[in-house]
Amino acid sequence: MVAVRDIIITGLLLGGVFALVSVGLSLEYGVARVLNVAHGEFIMLGAFLTFWLFSSVNLNPLVSILVSGVFIFVIGWFLHSTLFRRLMDSSPSLEVFEGQSMLASFGLLYVVQNIARLIWGSQTHQVLFLSRTVTGAQIPLNRLVSLGVVIVIGGAFYFFLARTRMGKAIRASAQDPTTAGLMGVNIHTVLAICFGLGLAMAGIAGTLISTVYAIQTNMGLQYTVIAMIVVVLGGLGSISGAMIGGVILGIVSQLVTYFQPTMTFIAYYAIFIVLLLVRPKGIMGK
Amino acid sequence: MLEVNGINAGYGRIQVLWDMSVNVGEGEFVALVGANGAGKTTLLKTISGVMRPTSGSITFLGKRIEHANPNQIVNMGLSHIPESRRLFTDMSIRENLEMGAYPGRSWKIRRATMKWVFGLFPRLEERAGQLARTLSGGEQQMLAMGRGLMSRPKLVMVDEPSNGLAPLVVTEVFQILKSLHNEGITILLVEQNVRQTLAVADRAYVIENGHLALEGACRMLAASDHVRKAYLGL
Repeated sequence: MVAVRDIIITGLLLGGVFALVSVGLSLEYGVARVLNVAHGEFIMLGAFLTFWLFSSVNLNPLVSILVSGVFIFVIGWFLHSTLFRRLMDSSPSLEVFEGQSMLASFGLLYVVQNIARLIWGSQTHQVLFLSRTVTGAQIPLNRLVSLGVVIVIGGAFYFFLARTRMGKAIRASAQDPTTAGLMGVNIHTVLAICFGLGLAMAGIAGTLISTVYAIQTNMGLQYTVIAMIVVVLGGLGSISGAMIGGVILGIVSQLVTYFQPTMTFIAYYAIFIVLLLVRPKGIMGK
Repeated sequence: MLEVNGINAGYGRIQVLWDMSVNVGEGEFVALVGANGAGKTTLLKTISGVMRPTSGSITFLGKRIEHANPNQIVNMGLSHIPESRRLFTDMSIRENLEMGAYPGRSWKIRRATMKWVFGLFPRLEERAGQLARTLSGGEQQMLAMGRGLMSRPKLVMVDEPSNGLAPLVVTEVFQILKSLHNEGITILLVEQNVRQTLAVADRAYVIENGHLALEGACRMLAASDHVRKAYLGL
């Protein structure tokens, strides 16, 4: 019984991080139409930024959340305003752009990963932060803090989308970019903000992951795969679907890891295939 | 107010508009009529910046806009209410209207503008919190028109507002257009419902296969043999 409870709690904690990563990808793909294969590389970048600031100036990882969030948002904004915007303007249709932007993001994956390897090498690092367990359940404090951060960011982002002028413009652009333009929305600005926010969420997730797990410069791709599964699981373009899908996958991951750790990724794909058969449009898809 | 001069435009290699020239004066109610596929919608899209002309010029309030982006053009006071409504169906009616007021100037006064729009379309106010997708076809058209007015435009281009609506609702749509015109808003209307269009507009252009075929006061066009045979079935 205690085991089940711990599995569910740690599953929720991991699921929160998965949800953050997946909402980020959902913004990049669902709104900005970039199937960003390099998404996980910005998780890695966030993690190593945190590690670097922690090991050199002993910066509290909770402060690093701000640093990696803002820094990686700027990178995302810049990448979209230069690379992806140019591709979009030169593509005759959105379908062509989706193909080209995915290829470009493949290039990005190698560039970011290899720059990181030049700086930090390929060995494993760790940020030791709040790793003592909380009495009662065997749950490390750093994971609880991570979940708290995810909940705060999720709530703030929901408020941003539901209430602010820019948030509404993002939702409108996700549904119909041409008509959003007719309403006066500068579509290029909105897409650059979405791409920047998507990357920032990856970066923040990276900061949180670095406090819980060992990190390596090649850690990114596994998270990209997880995020892609979650985004399809939740329904393409659906932010709430990505949140729900992330939590489900987190719990599944912990359940399977408890009984048979080597089967975790097999379980992800099994769920993915079953869901696609039962509900091809995803949990919240239309 | 709006001068379209010798526009050529199309999709890829397929040219849709040939040397098209259209003028709309301040306070006028001008209509573009013609068969399906004649190029009326393409002309509106070219004016609002969704499409780029291959040659020719477009001037609005004295400024050239043929290379401007849609958001810059709506900022100048030219609103395009697109064909088949194009509502944000997953957003509420109030949010759809707020999106219409997106340009900075109109965003600040959106509450007052919304009150005015609710006065024009009382049914929208009753359902302000509902998702746009739950509205009937007629109500969706009202919302599309209300949304297009939220930026407080000087000129409104309305594309096929009567499309797919029941006859009674069509009459209501035309009455609303007429009352908007009476409030001083300049209107450029695209319609296939030629009879009712010629009854409400001041002037009309007849477009056939991407070329300008006829133009003139609606009263004159309604009396011309060509229009009577080709569009009024007389």
